[in-house]
Amino acid sequence: MNYFDPIIENRRQFLLRNGNGLGAAALSTLLNPGLLGSALGGEMPAYGGLPSIPHFPGKAKRVIYMFMSGGPSHIDLFDYKPIQRDLHGTELPDSVRQDQRLTGMSSGQNSFPCVAPMFEFGKFGEHQTWVNKDLLPHTAGIVDKITIMKSLHTEAVNHDPAITFINTGSQQQGKPSLGSWLSYGMGTMNENMPGYVVMISRGRGQLQALYDRLWGSGFLPAKHQGVKLRSAGEPVLFLKNPEGFGRDARRGQLDSLKELNELNYDKFADPETQARISQYELAFRMQAEVPGLMDIEGEPDHVKELYGPQVDKPGSFARNCLLARRMAEKGVRYIQLFHRGWDQHGSLPSKITQQCEDIDQPAAALIKDLDQRGMLDDTLVVWGGEFGRTIYSQGQLTKDNHGRDHHGRCFSMWMAGAGVKRGFEYGKTDDHSYNIIENPVHIRDLNATILDRLGIDHRKLTFKFQGLDQRLTGVEEEAHVIKDILG
Amino acid sequence: MRALGPLAHEISLVLRGLNETHMKELFTIALLTGSLPLLAVDFNRDVRPILSDTCFKCHGPGKAEGDLRLDDREDALDAGVLSPGNVEKSEVVARLKSDDPEELMPPPDAHKTLTPEQIQILETWIAEGAVYDEHWSLVPAKRDVTIKSLDHFIDKRLAEEELKPTPEADQRTLIRRVTLDLTGLPPTPEEVEAFVKDSSPEAYGKLVDRLLASEHYGERMALAWMDAARYGDTSVMHADGPRDMWPWRDWVIKAYNTNMPFDQFTVEQLAGDLIPNATVSQKIASGFNRNHATSDEGGAFPEELRVEYVADRVQTTANVWMGLTMECSQCHDHKYDPISQKEYFQFFAYFNNTTDPGMQTRDGNQAPVVEVPDEARTARLAELHKQIEDSEQKLEAHRANSATTPEFAAWLKQVEEGASIDGQEKQPAGLVHWFPIEASAQDFRDGVSGSTVTAEKGKFEVADREGSEVLKLNGNTQFKTDAPVNLEYNKPFSFSVWLKPDGKASGAIFSRMDDKAAYRGFDLWMEGGRIGTHIVNTWQENALKVVSTDSLAPGKWQHLVLSYDGSHKAAGVKIYLDGKLSSNEVQADSLSATIATSEPFRIGSRSTGSNWKGELGELRIYDRVLEGADVGAASKGDPVKSILTTPAGQRSESDRRVLLARYLGTADQIFKKLGEARQKVLKQHADLDRKPVTSMVMQDNPDNKMRMTYILERGAYDSPRKDQALQPGVPKALPPMPANAPANRLGLANWLIAPNHPLTARVAVNRYWMIFFGEGLVRSVGDFGAQGTSPTHPELLDWLALDFVESDWDVKRMIKQLVSSNAYQRSSRLESLHRDRDSENELLARAPRFRLQGEFIRDQALAISGLLNPEIGGAGVKPYQPVNIWNEVSLNGGLRYPQDKGEKLYRRSMYTYWKRSSPMPNMLIFDAPSREKCVIQRQRTNTPLQALVTLNDPQFVEAGRAFAQRILQSAETDPDKRIDLGYRLATARPAAQREIEILTKLLEENRARFRENPESAKQFLATGESPRDESIDAIEHAAWTVVAQTILNLDESLTRN
Repeated sequence: MNYFDPIIENRRQFLLRNGNGLGAAALSTLLNPGLLGSALGGEMPAYGGLPSIPHFPGKAKRVIYMFMSGGPSHIDLFDYKPIQRDLHGTELPDSVRQDQRLTGMSSGQNSFPCVAPMFEFGKFGEHQTWVNKDLLPHTAGIVDKITIMKSLHTEAVNHDPAITFINTGSQQQGKPSLGSWLSYGMGTMNENMPGYVVMISRGRGQLQALYDRLWGSGFLPAKHQGVKLRSAGEPVLFLKNPEGFGRDARRGQLDSLKELNELNYDKFADPETQARISQYELAFRMQAEVPGLMDIEGEPDHVKELYGPQVDKPGSFARNCLLARRMAEKGVRYIQLFHRGWDQHGSLPSKITQQCEDIDQPAAALIKDLDQRGMLDDTLVVWGGEFGRTIYSQGQLTKDNHGRDHHGRCFSMWMAGAGVKRGFEYGKTDDHSYNIIENPVHIRDLNATILDRLGIDHRKLTFKFQGLDQRLTGVEEEAHVIKDILG
Repeated sequence: MRALGPLAHEISLVLRGLNETHMKELFTIALLTGSLPLLAVDFNRDVRPILSDTCFKCHGPGKAEGDLRLDDREDALDAGVLSPGNVEKSEVVARLKSDDPEELMPPPDAHKTLTPEQIQILETWIAEGAVYDEHWSLVPAKRDVTIKSLDHFIDKRLAEEELKPTPEADQRTLIRRVTLDLTGLPPTPEEVEAFVKDSSPEAYGKLVDRLLASEHYGERMALAWMDAARYGDTSVMHADGPRDMWPWRDWVIKAYNTNMPFDQFTVEQLAGDLIPNATVSQKIASGFNRNHATSDEGGAFPEELRVEYVADRVQTTANVWMGLTMECSQCHDHKYDPISQKEYFQFFAYFNNTTDPGMQTRDGNQAPVVEVPDEARTARLAELHKQIEDSEQKLEAHRANSATTPEFAAWLKQVEEGASIDGQEKQPAGLVHWFPIEASAQDFRDGVSGSTVTAEKGKFEVADREGSEVLKLNGNTQFKTDAPVNLEYNKPFSFSVWLKPDGKASGAIFSRMDDKAAYRGFDLWMEGGRIGTHIVNTWQENALKVVSTDSLAPGKWQHLVLSYDGSHKAAGVKIYLDGKLSSNEVQADSLSATIATSEPFRIGSRSTGSNWKGELGELRIYDRVLEGADVGAASKGDPVKSILTTPAGQRSESDRRVLLARYLGTADQIFKKLGEARQKVLKQHADLDRKPVTSMVMQDNPDNKMRMTYILERGAYDSPRKDQALQPGVPKALPPMPANAPANRLGLANWLIAPNHPLTARVAVNRYWMIFFGEGLVRSVGDFGAQGTSPTHPELLDWLALDFVESDWDVKRMIKQLVSSNAYQRSSRLESLHRDRDSENELLARAPRFRLQGEFIRDQALAISGLLNPEIGGAGVKPYQPVNIWNEVSLNGGLRYPQDKGEKLYRRSMYTYWKRSSPMPNMLIFDAPSREKCVIQRQRTNTPLQALVTLNDPQFVEAGRAFAQRILQSAETDPDKRIDLGYRLATARPAAQREIEILTKLLEENRARFRENPESAKQFLATGESPRDESIDAIEHAAWTVVAQTILNLDESLTRN
C-alpha cells in the first residue's frame, strides 16, 4: 500500500536507510509529492516513493501484468516450428534433453514422445509471426503491437518455487514482490487508490495454489503489499461501512474522531497522530472512489464488446482486463491479474482450448483499448506464466490427446507498450522448443526490463535488510535490461 | 554523526607517539571510565560501518579484488594502501577522492558514494593510526560492576548531550503502558484506580510483579517469539496444508510463565530431543526447528527441499540467537562478516542429520512427531467410550426383547405371506455373517448379528451392481465392525463375495488380523489379481497361505467363494472364481494353533494398512464348507427370502437371527433411533481417537547412519564437493567449541549459552529491549554483523548482557529491570527540543510512543467490550474472515474457511489459525508477518486499510456494539458519566470535558439519525454472532455503538502511550 503519509513512516525508513547523512534537500523532496510528478513528465502527481526515482526518464507510468498461473505451453501458443510436425511421435533425443532434470511427475516415464501442437498455426502481421490461430485468433490480430519473447528461462521447474521466483525475484519465501518494490520506489499516482492492485480469475483447468507472498511486501513495509480487488463482496476488504451506517453517518463520526485526535496531538505532539488522522480521511475517500471504479455500467457497449461476452461476468478474466484499464486511467501504478488453470499435465488439447477462450479476446482487447486511448505509450503490458511445458508428452500420447510436464529451460511471454517494439520477436529455441539457441532472457532480465521502462535502474532500487542491499533482481547474479526489444 | 572537535585532534597528537597497543588500551580506559568525553574516532562505531558498506563487498572477508582486503589491518598494510598516521601517503584516501573514474573507489558501477563527512572520518582515523578493533559484537562483553542501574548509562548520554528528559508519566498512562507491554491487554478500570490510589513507593513494583505473574504475560512474550520462530498452522509451500504445532506454542507460553531460564529455553528448543532421557515436553520444544516451510509438491526434488529446510534452520538459529546473517555464506564466503562458506556448512552439519524427509505431507504432521499427552482428550475419550457402551447395551436389550414382541411377529407374518422364490434361489445353510447394504444406502450392518459397521478411515461410499448397492473402497477407506466374526484354525468356514477390483494391486479385501502380533488372524487377500487367504497364528512359522493360480479381471464383477475345511492344511482351501474351481499355489502350510485376535473384523484392510481398492458386494461368511450347488447359490438370491420360504419349524437359530436383523434394520423405528445414537457417539469417538494430538519434533539419524555434509558449490543441493566431508563446527571468529562437547545440536546449544559467547546474551537482551522500548539498543535487531547498526549505548548493552548471564538467564528479572527503569517510565510527550535534536529517540529522553501491534489492537477491543475469551493455549481458532479468501488462492480452489462459532470467535489473536499462504487479512494489514520465514523485527506502518479494519471489520463492529452494551448496562446512567466510563475502559483515564462534549454531540446526531430510520439501527446492531441484550432500546444502543466505536478508534486507544 503506498499511501503517502506526510511524516512518519517514510521518514523513519528513509533515515534508517540513509544513516545519519540525510540532507534537508532530500527530505523536502520526500515531503513534496509534486516534484515526482513533474519528474515523470506527465500530469499525474506522485505520492510517496523514493526521491532518487526515477533514475532516468522512464517510458511507462504504470504496468499491467497478466500473469498466467500454472505455466502455459509455449509450444502450443507461440513457439511453433513446422518441423515439429515431423518430430511428432519421435522419441526426444538425449542430445536435446542433455542432463535436464525432470520433475518427479514424468521422470518415471520410459518413453518421451515428442508432440506437435494439435492445432493449426498461422503467420500473422507484418512480420508473419507464427501464432496458434485456433486458440489465439485475437492475439494474432495484435502481433503488430507486441513483442513476443521466446527465450525466457528459469531455474525452477515446480510451481511454488517458480511462481515465487518470477513474482519476487527469489525462489525462497520472504522477499518483496515486484509490485511492492514499485510501490516502495515510485509511490502512487492516486492517493485515494491502492498503488498496487491484484485481481484473480479462476480459469477452468487444474488450479495451482497462489500465495499472499506473490503480492506481499516481504521485508518492505506492509503498506506496499498488493491489495486484492475482489469481484464478489467488497471490492477491497473491509471497504464497506456496516449495514445501517451510511456514508453521512461515517462522515460525522470521522469529524468527531478527528477533533478528539487533535486534542490528543496537543497533548503528546506525536506526528504519528496527525498521520493517523490523514489515514482515516484517505480511507474515507477510498470508500468513495474504489466502488465506482469497479462498476463498469458506464462503459460504452462497443468497449464492452471489445472484451468479449465474459466481460459481463464478475470475476472473469475479461472483466478484470477491463477493470485493469479503468485502474490504469485512475493512476494505479501496478495492476496484476492472475489467471489460474494453466497446469495441463493431461488432456492438454481440450484444456488449453478452454483457457484460451477465457483469455485471448480480453488480453487482445486490453491492448487495443489502451492503444485507442493513447495509453499504450506509457503503459507497459506483460503477459506470461511461471514456466513453459515440455515438447514430450506426459502420460500417454494418443491420436487426439496428451499432456505436457513443466519446462523451465525456455518459455514464451509477450510485452507491449511503453516503448517496447511493436511487431517484434525476440529469442530463439531449438527445433524441439526445448533449449534456447539465441538471446536467452532470464526472469531477472525480464524484471530488470520492467523496472527500466519505469525509469528505474534495477541495480539502484535497493533496501537494506539483514546486512545486504537487497534488490528485486537479486544481490548476486547480474541482470540485464533487454535493450534489443526496446524501440 | 558526532562532531570531531579540536580536542580529538589534540588527543591524537598526544597518542601518536605511543604504539598501537598502548593507544588502544588508553582509549579503552577512557571509554570505560568515562573520564574523557567520547570525541575520538571509534573504529567500530564510526569507521567499520563505512568500510563495510562501501568496501568490504570487494575487499573484505569474502573477496580480495586486486589482492586487497580492507577488513584486515595486516593485509591492508602489506598492500601498501594504508599509511598509519599519514593521510597523504595512504592510497585509500587518494582513491576515494580521485577524479579519474578508472581510479575512483568505490567504482561508479557499485552505486556507492561516500559523503565528504565519511571521507573526513576515514582521514581522521588514518591520522590517528588506522587502528582496527575487532567487530564489537564478537568481543566478549565487559562491564563496570559498580554501576547498579541501567539509567546510569542513559542519563550519562543525556547529560553529555545536555538533553533534559521528560518527567515521569502519570500513573494512568503508566499502568496502561506496562499492562499492555507485559500482557498485551489493557488494565481494567478497577486495576487503574487501585494503582492510582496506592501512593506507596512499592506500588509500581507490585504492579509489575502482578503482571509478570499473570498467565497473559506468557502469551504476550510467546507472540513475539512466534514471529522469530516462524510459527504457523500450515506447511507454506504448494498445498500449504494443515499441521499441528500448537503444542509447541503452548510449551513456549508455559516456559515464559514458569520463568524458564533463557539458557534452558535455548537448549530445549534447539536440542530438546537430544537431552538424555528427553521428556515429552523437551521433545515438543525441539519443534522450534520444525516450524519452517515444507513442501508436498508432486514434481519436486526431495533433496533440494531437504537442503532448503536445513538452510532455513541455520538461518533462523543464527538470526535468532546470534544476530548473524549466516545465510549469506551459503553460496560464498560472507562479504562482510568473518564466516566462510566452509564454516557455514560446518554449522549446517549440526542440522543436516535429521530424519525428516524433503518431501513432506500436505495433511497433518510429518514424522518425526511426538504424541502429546492431553488430559482433556483422554477424559473425553473415556466419556465417549462409556456412552458407546451404554448405547450398545440399549441396543442389545432392545434386540433381545424384540424377538418376542407382537410387532415382530406381525411383521414376520406379513413378510412370510408375500414371500416366494424359485428353487435356484434357495440359500445354503450356515450363514453366520452377512453384510448387505440396505437400499437406503444409509445403513451398513451385519445382517445376522446386527452389529454396525463403522468407517474407520475415509468415507462410506456406495456403487451399484446390477441395481443393488455395493461398497466402494478407494484404496484408503476401511471399515471395522464389532460383529463377532470368530473363525478358528480348526473349524470350517467359507467366504462368498462379489468383487470388482480396480486393478491388480495387492490388498486385504477383508480381514480380522493383528499386523503387529505376527499377523495373527485371517484375511481374504488379493495379490496381482489372484485371490487367496492367510490363516495365521504366527507369520511365517505357524501359518497357512494359499493363492489361486487364476486371476480376477480388473473392472469387472466376478463372484468368489473361498472355503476352508478346518483341517489346518493348505489342501483344505478351495477357491472358486465365478463358480469355477481354480488350482492353487501354496505359499505357507504350517498352521497348528489358534488364530484368535482382539482386533476387530475389518472390510477393506488389515489392522495397519494393506488397503484394497475396488468394489465389493454381498459379503457372506458361512460356518461350513460351501461346495457343489451351494457355490453358485451363494452368488445370488436373498437369504431373507430363502429363510422366509423355509417352514418356521425348520429354521435354524441363525435363520431366526437374520430375520430379526432384517426386521430391526428395516421396520423398527426405535432400533433405528438407538442405532443412530450409537453411530453418533461412535463417530465422535473415532474422530477424536483417530487423531491423537502430535507435535513435530527434531530427531537425528543414529551414529551409524549419519548423513555426510559437504560444501555445496554455490549453495546448490546437487553440487556437493564430495572430496571433503565436513564435521560439525562453529566459525573461528567465535569462541571454540569445548573439546568434550558432543558434535551435535546439543553441543551447539550449550556452546551458544556458554558465558563467554559474545553474542547470545547481547542479542537476547536487545530483543527484550525492543519489545519494551519499541527499538533495540542495536537497531538492526536481526543483524549484529558489520552491516548492522552499532549500539546506541554500547556499555549499557554489555552491562545488561552480563547481568542477564550472571542472573542465570532470569528472564522475568531482566524484564522487570527494563520496565522499572526511569527511561521506561518517562512521559512520551515529544518536546520540540527532543524532536529537533533526537527525532529518532536514540537517547531516550522521552518514552517511546507507538501503535499497538495488530494482535493487541484486536485483543484490546475484545477486552474492553467484554467479549474476550481469555482461555490460554490450545489449537488455533478461526474467527470472522471475509468470504472466499482461502478458495481464491488454494490449490484446486476448493478450500473454504470453516469459521468457528461461539466462544472461539473471541479468543486472543495469537490463537487465530495462521494459514501462511493466506494469513488473516485484518492482522496482515497491521504488519503481522506471514511467518513463512523468521522475522525478528516487525514493521510498524500507518495506512488507510488499518482504519478500514477498525471501522468496518465485523469483529470490530461487534466489539463496538458489545462495548456500548457494557456501558449501557453499567451502573452509570448519566450520559456524561457513561462517556467517561468508555474512556476509562479504553484509555485508563477519565474523559475531559471537551471530549465529553464532542462525543455527546456525536451521540445526539446518531440518535436522531437512527430515530429517523429505526430499521437502520437494527441493521447496524446485527453484526456479529454474540447475542444483543434486547432489553436495550435499539436506537439508543446503535447511537452508543457509534460512540463506543469512536473511542476504540482513538489514536490514544490504538497507541501505547
